[in-house]
Amino acid sequence: MDLTHETLVEAAKTWGLFYLIGFSLCVLVYTFWPANRERFDRAKRNILDEDDQPWT
Amino acid sequence: MPELLHRKLERTAIGFVLAIIVAASVGGIVEIAPLFTIDETVENADDMRLYTPLELAGRNIYIREGCYACHSQMIRTLRDDVERYGPFSLAVESRYDHPMLWGSKRTGPDLARVGGKYSDFWHVAHLTNPRDVVPESNMPAYPWLARTPLRLDDLGSHLRTQRSVGVPYTDEMIDNAARDAFGQAVPDSQQASGVTERYGEETQVSAFDGVTTRVTEMDALVAYLQVLGRLTKAAYRNTAAPEQPPNPND
Amino acid sequence: MGQLTTRERELAAAILVALAVVGIAMAAAGRADPLGVHGAIVLLYSMVLLFLIMSTSFGPAPDPSRVSRYYDDPIKVGVAFTLFWAIFGMFFGVWAAAQLAWPSLNFDTAWASFGRIRPAHTTGVIFGFGGNALISTSFHVVQRTSRARLPDQLSPWFVLFGYNLFCILAVTGYFIGVTQSKEYAEAEWYADLWLVIVWVTYFVLYIRTLARRREPHIYVANWYYMAFILVVAILHIINNLTIPVSLGHAKSYTIWAGVQDSMVQWWYGHNAVAFFLTAGFLAMLYYYLPKRAERPIFSYRLSILSFWGITFFYMWAGSHHLHYTALPHWVQNLGMTFSVMLLVPSWASAGNALLTLNGAWHKVRDDATLRFIMMAAFFYGLSTFEGSFLAVRPVNSLSHYTDWTVGHVHAGALGWVALITYGSLYTLVPAIWKRERMYSAALVEVHFWLAFAGTVIYVFAMWNSGIIQGLMWRTYTEEGTLSYSFVDSLLAMYPYYIARAFGGLLFLIGAVVATYNIWMTVRGVPVAGGERHDDIPLAGPLPEGAATRPAE
Repeated sequence: MDLTHETLVEAAKTWGLFYLIGFSLCVLVYTFWPANRERFDRAKRNILDEDDQPWT
Repeated sequence: MPELLHRKLERTAIGFVLAIIVAASVGGIVEIAPLFTIDETVENADDMRLYTPLELAGRNIYIREGCYACHSQMIRTLRDDVERYGPFSLAVESRYDHPMLWGSKRTGPDLARVGGKYSDFWHVAHLTNPRDVVPESNMPAYPWLARTPLRLDDLGSHLRTQRSVGVPYTDEMIDNAARDAFGQAVPDSQQASGVTERYGEETQVSAFDGVTTRVTEMDALVAYLQVLGRLTKAAYRNTAAPEQPPNPND
Repeated sequence: MGQLTTRERELAAAILVALAVVGIAMAAAGRADPLGVHGAIVLLYSMVLLFLIMSTSFGPAPDPSRVSRYYDDPIKVGVAFTLFWAIFGMFFGVWAAAQLAWPSLNFDTAWASFGRIRPAHTTGVIFGFGGNALISTSFHVVQRTSRARLPDQLSPWFVLFGYNLFCILAVTGYFIGVTQSKEYAEAEWYADLWLVIVWVTYFVLYIRTLARRREPHIYVANWYYMAFILVVAILHIINNLTIPVSLGHAKSYTIWAGVQDSMVQWWYGHNAVAFFLTAGFLAMLYYYLPKRAERPIFSYRLSILSFWGITFFYMWAGSHHLHYTALPHWVQNLGMTFSVMLLVPSWASAGNALLTLNGAWHKVRDDATLRFIMMAAFFYGLSTFEGSFLAVRPVNSLSHYTDWTVGHVHAGALGWVALITYGSLYTLVPAIWKRERMYSAALVEVHFWLAFAGTVIYVFAMWNSGIIQGLMWRTYTEEGTLSYSFVDSLLAMYPYYIARAFGGLLFLIGAVVATYNIWMTVRGVPVAGGERHDDIPLAGPLPEGAATRPAE
């Protein structure tokens, strides 16, 4: 395998980009997956349930 | 059932960890991995010499005193940088620098090519009290350097460690490290000739701090400052800069 | 440490004896080398802790009911460490700033000269103050959001005291001339190795707590803490790969050279900002802001998107510290592009925080603690915008090497990191000490205005000096020669250096006020009944459908 500076730079410039797009897609799908809505809403509210506040 | 659920939960945490590693590591790998092969693209410099043991010791004092916090050693490819400090820095010039001292802040001026610009005497006076020579300066004074003898006995192991990280010091250089450090700071001694034999004719042998009876930390630091930018002339060759490297004998 | 079981005490004693032996070995191997001094410090540190463990070991057995409560004792000690390091680090910051205006303030002593106290300032503030704040709040947040107690009682103490030993070794090292010269990673090889051990323990502890959680979903604050722990581990190990001169030398040489070293260093340096000073503190934001405002976060989905954005983009941005240098051009461009893109997730986080407060501005007006958090989010937005701006190559050609960078860092460090930390502490302290409220709301108010004024004065002074400096360096006369010598530009800086020291002093006074206020809070009277019945972990196996049930 011929690992020159040019091949590495090229890989960085091409595969790096594909990787970035793929990764963003996965994150977007996870975030907006309808079935996840409920768990996110619960997580958002649940930390307020237990009273860990200063009691002013 | 709870047992099974518990295991599943644990797996999510681990999967999550893996996802963070995958997301976070790629940027570094993509940026840094190609630099492993950087040698192929770094400019060539056949005349590149190594730091002498005295200069290396001075470099370590430069590090110890945190000089890098206020002085950069990296002239950028900008017109005002080049006109103020000299030809822009090349990658090859810091090829043997473990660690690099490019710096990030210029509270004081850039030092990448300070070697040879001032006399040894000026440097000693300046380091002892900067305001004696530059009244406006806010640089700390380093009076203890001239008082502190330089530790010579372990310079060989310093050179050996440098070789283990890739700096091509020879066995002869390692064996004579302490002698060479002494000889470079004491021009009349019999050890002096060995320094130029091993490190090249251009090596500056001088009583840097003006005292020839002993080798102090001041000797080492001034020797280092005087070699900055003068390990190779590559920067003067490969650029359009008309300048010549400064010569202290002029 | 009163809750430690006999078994845990024995283990702790064994670890401390082992550490003491390491200290003796270091002292013996190092002798006159600074390593010897550090060996003595390690020995002393472990002996003091050993004495503490032994002197309480004949007390009554720990209360078996402790497992039904959260384990907060290490957090309390962590808060004390945080406050100590804040004053220590900021004091050295003010001193270093004053030395730039009046250089004789080091009294010609080696240990107090600028080059040595500057890393003491940065390490004291970033790792001492910031690190202890992150460790303490992470122990608090992970227990509450997982509704589970920490899995054991020994490893949190090991993490806390081990981490502070690292900080002590690092800072004392600079005074006696031990440094790697890598900015924000100055500690030498043995301290770095020790930190790896501590950090792995921290990671395992965090994962074990998460694995015990009773909530099916991992709350987003924990994501940020996890990213902080994980990525800092990766960065720390790679940047600190060195070979010591010998086992008796404190000095080591990094395996990286020249241009590689510069890229590794700033990849580390910038991501230390990202994952130490941003991700971890965003975790605080995502927990303490909703808690204090008593409102859920504006958009949970947005917080997930910005999490992955920050985790991904930041790792590419480091090379913007090396514009116009000998680093290959394409790496510089890559760094610039990703730095600009980074603005999107950063502003998403800042906007998410500010929108959470929308509709509750009366609380921000009345509650100085919430105002700390709000102002932190504001400064976060400001400094991330500035960061992306400064990463653009032509802008960077003016700003780099000047005080503008210093001003930018402090807009982040004072305005974002310190303000969010104090906002979190003012929320956390009454909660874990079971106090009704802080000792004095007026002193919180005083602290807020001192901190805010100090930050603004500091940042404006540095913006001015940085831009003036940058412009003076590049100004040409009509004949085409440089107009100003370097000394001319230095002379123009003095008024700003004095203003900067004054701004820093205000901030330091604020930190002292906070410490006094927290001390008086701790000395105050606990709430009647000892604890709130609802601040306990859920016990027993998870029943069917428990996830949808509100916590008890």
